[in-house]
Amino acid sequence: MLKRLILIRGIEVLMVLLLASIPLVVNNSFVLGLLTLLAIYGILLIGLDITVGYLGLVNLAQAAFLGLGAYAGALTVTQLGFDMLSALLVSTVIGLVMGGLLAFPSLRLEGPQFALATLSFSALSATVLNEWESLTLGAQGLQLHRPPLFGFVLDSKGFYWLCLCFLGLVWMAMRNLLSSQWGRAFEALRDSPIATDAMGIGTYRHKVTAFALGSGLGGLAGGLYAFNFEYLQPHVFVYELMVILLLGVVLGGRKSLWGAFVGAVLIVLLPNLLSNRLLFQIFSATGFLLALGAGGMALYQKRTKLFQAAAPIIAMGLLVTGSFTVQNTEDWRKAIFALMLFSVVVGLPEGLMGFASRFLSRIFSIDPESFAPPSLLEEVLVRKDVDGAPLLQIQDLKCYFGGIKAVDGVSLTVAAGTIHGLIGPNGSGKSTLVNLVSGLYVPTGGTIQFQGKPLVQGSLFAVAQQGISRTFQNLQLFSELTALDNVMVSMKGYYRSALPLVLMGLAKRDEKRAEADSLALLEMVGLTGQARIPAKDLPYGAQRFLEIARAVARRPTLLILDEPAAGLAHPDVVTLLAIIRRIHQQGITVILIEHHMDVVSELCDTATVLDGGRIIAEGIPEDIRRNPLVIEAYLGKGSEPPPVAAERPGTLEPVAA
Amino acid sequence: MDHAVIQLIVSGALMGLVYALVAYGFQLTYATSKSINFGQGELVMLSAFVSLTLTNTGLPYYLMIPGGLLFGVIAGLFVERAGVRLALEQKSEGWILMTIILGLFGISAAENIWGRDDRPFPTPIPTEPIQFFGVSITPLEISVAVGVVLIMVVIELFKRKTLLGKAFEAVSADRDAAELMGISATRTIMLSYGLSGLVAALAGILVSPITTVGPTMASALVLKAFSVAVVAGLESGFGVVIVGLFLGSLESLTSFYVGSGWREAPGLVLLILALAIRPTGIFGKAVIRKV
Repeated sequence: MLKRLILIRGIEVLMVLLLASIPLVVNNSFVLGLLTLLAIYGILLIGLDITVGYLGLVNLAQAAFLGLGAYAGALTVTQLGFDMLSALLVSTVIGLVMGGLLAFPSLRLEGPQFALATLSFSALSATVLNEWESLTLGAQGLQLHRPPLFGFVLDSKGFYWLCLCFLGLVWMAMRNLLSSQWGRAFEALRDSPIATDAMGIGTYRHKVTAFALGSGLGGLAGGLYAFNFEYLQPHVFVYELMVILLLGVVLGGRKSLWGAFVGAVLIVLLPNLLSNRLLFQIFSATGFLLALGAGGMALYQKRTKLFQAAAPIIAMGLLVTGSFTVQNTEDWRKAIFALMLFSVVVGLPEGLMGFASRFLSRIFSIDPESFAPPSLLEEVLVRKDVDGAPLLQIQDLKCYFGGIKAVDGVSLTVAAGTIHGLIGPNGSGKSTLVNLVSGLYVPTGGTIQFQGKPLVQGSLFAVAQQGISRTFQNLQLFSELTALDNVMVSMKGYYRSALPLVLMGLAKRDEKRAEADSLALLEMVGLTGQARIPAKDLPYGAQRFLEIARAVARRPTLLILDEPAAGLAHPDVVTLLAIIRRIHQQGITVILIEHHMDVVSELCDTATVLDGGRIIAEGIPEDIRRNPLVIEAYLGKGSEPPPVAAERPGTLEPVAA
Repeated sequence: MDHAVIQLIVSGALMGLVYALVAYGFQLTYATSKSINFGQGELVMLSAFVSLTLTNTGLPYYLMIPGGLLFGVIAGLFVERAGVRLALEQKSEGWILMTIILGLFGISAAENIWGRDDRPFPTPIPTEPIQFFGVSITPLEISVAVGVVLIMVVIELFKRKTLLGKAFEAVSADRDAAELMGISATRTIMLSYGLSGLVAALAGILVSPITTVGPTMASALVLKAFSVAVVAGLESGFGVVIVGLFLGSLESLTSFYVGSGWREAPGLVLLILALAIRPTGIFGKAVIRKV
């Protein structure tokens, strides 16, 4: 624990001290300029990494936010006479607000639309900065003087230290944010946006907040940029800068503060690298040899495909050839960036820091922090008193897809405190019905009432908020998160601290409580030992159980289990039965969709049978099994009821699966 | 409405057809692979330069066209192989960044091979305006309109009437099911990128005599094509023509009444508005999510 703290924080402190002391030792304005730019780009890239790294989206607007922040800072100083801090505040707020405004429409869809919207936004902001000449003076450029800070005008050294302070603050705030519920939510929504909504975490609002925060940092960097150069021109903040910024994030390493820092170092040094021929030759030759070595090795060990190994070698080979043959490397600047970025994206997708951290973690093996002792399950899932009153009432519910009537006039009542089975052959409408209740689909007609009130329709998130939680037939785990984080991210009612408090690192108590309570839920499904394993590496049965634990973390009134036994081996089915009974004991009403008739008879108080989108039978499982309509739906006409199953209820032989 | 306004609308709309053609190139690849080439504008530009070079070697105009188109197809296939396939295999959105990178390389190559200056593109089609009800249109502009409509009709017929075209439709409807029926999705995606390259090359050849050829000739063009594609929806070929015509005339009016520096603005605003109001586009269909 202590060793971990010393290693990780120690390196950070050392780096800050080192950076801060350079101007004391080296008295060189060129070096000082580079260092200042490094601090500014560090802030900018940390902001960009939130969208590109954590949300996994291609964001082409960060250069525009830098520009908008720069102009906002500059104009408040020249026009309104603001001092340094208030001007920087304006820059940041402009970034935040514009980022939020852009994110609201463009983050609703998956796919290329977001990248397109950010690209258009960049072009639009460049147009505005260029054309609104009465304010920005257009292409002529805007001159300004560095405003005073608390009455003092900083010289370049002082300003550098100020930028470094901001970088340090941003660094700490981001680390606090990313190690909180927010950070988990960002990763969760990248893995499964549907589950993020169904767990009531909220995909959309986390995306919008993340993008706005990143853009706010872009704005802050812009303000500092303006006060550093004291001269602004719109054409600086264009497409090419955007590509360079992406190069910085990707080459440095996504999802890492250190990666953003390394990326910033790189893009600060890049222009100097290009202007010195020998340096450029050495650099490109090193890149080529690295690509050759890594690619060759990976091919030899059959870890990669030919394209992934060969493409970076070819690209780097072109770079080397170019470094010896072209007359002026400056002319080929864009191609050089393109080749470098191409090689990194294909050959080193985890970036320099991702690559380095694999080695570092081998050398310095640090024990993970120990867990808090798990809470008592009785305290996590406080037993609810249930009275058997109608909890969920569905009236004449319909859902048509074109001509297909997936659910065609279903009316159903689920009593509080029961386990209600929902069975039927494939394509009978069970999953559609559940998707309607949980808000994934909008019904064509009919009403759903929950706890006597109409249920919000067509929003997974809103339904989850009302106390309905579900699992998925095809697993929708947050595959990159650990088992523990999968549960923690879904815990309801634990993360009450406001965002500013989280940024300041004042939400640690929420975290500890959520962790202890999540461990209790993992214990309930028998996964305590696997708490640190990423969900994607768990065995299939364990993944099913983890989904149940995650759904229960919502502490729901109604839990919908969509075919939890599908594909489970016999011993796992036994465990599953025990888990469902345990959950039910705590007063949680369960809707169980199942193919295994025996699981249904074992657990359910009532069962409803669907076929062709309609209800064909309803009652206690014993009667259902003998109902001729049900047997016909499952086995076709002319079949006798299976005598064995009827005589030995409760065994685990599938009647129809 | 007086003649000046009609004139603005008509000549803007004709330009809008070129946006529609480039946007149609996005749709072709989006249909098969849910990906688009962010460097499509650079493909337009490079094809125009190659065609110009072919013309300068003394090749007659109508023989140069197949050469330019062939280059477009090859470039399209290259983009698919180098920038898209890996990302699709990894089921990631890496193709966005990769196609941007390839486009950037293309710009840089063009700057250094052909220079940064804009050059005229010779054409045998006359440029003296003809009067239609008081609106003057050049035969060159008519040739653009005819070329755009013709290629789109041919490709749509290909998709609907030929076996290969049906494979194209099958992959766009359900990639996995198509694979199970023995249709190679990879080859179909290659085909779509080839076609998309062809469309880009034709757009370059058609528009160059009007706009001149230069490394940045397509950077504004492609932004407007993005707007058209998003506003119309990434599925509807008919929609891009309508939206293209509309955006072209809107832009021409903006440029006249507000100022030529603002001519890009309506497209960009429309794109963001479309995402806010109807994210699947005016002619797009909502997708049913399955879990």
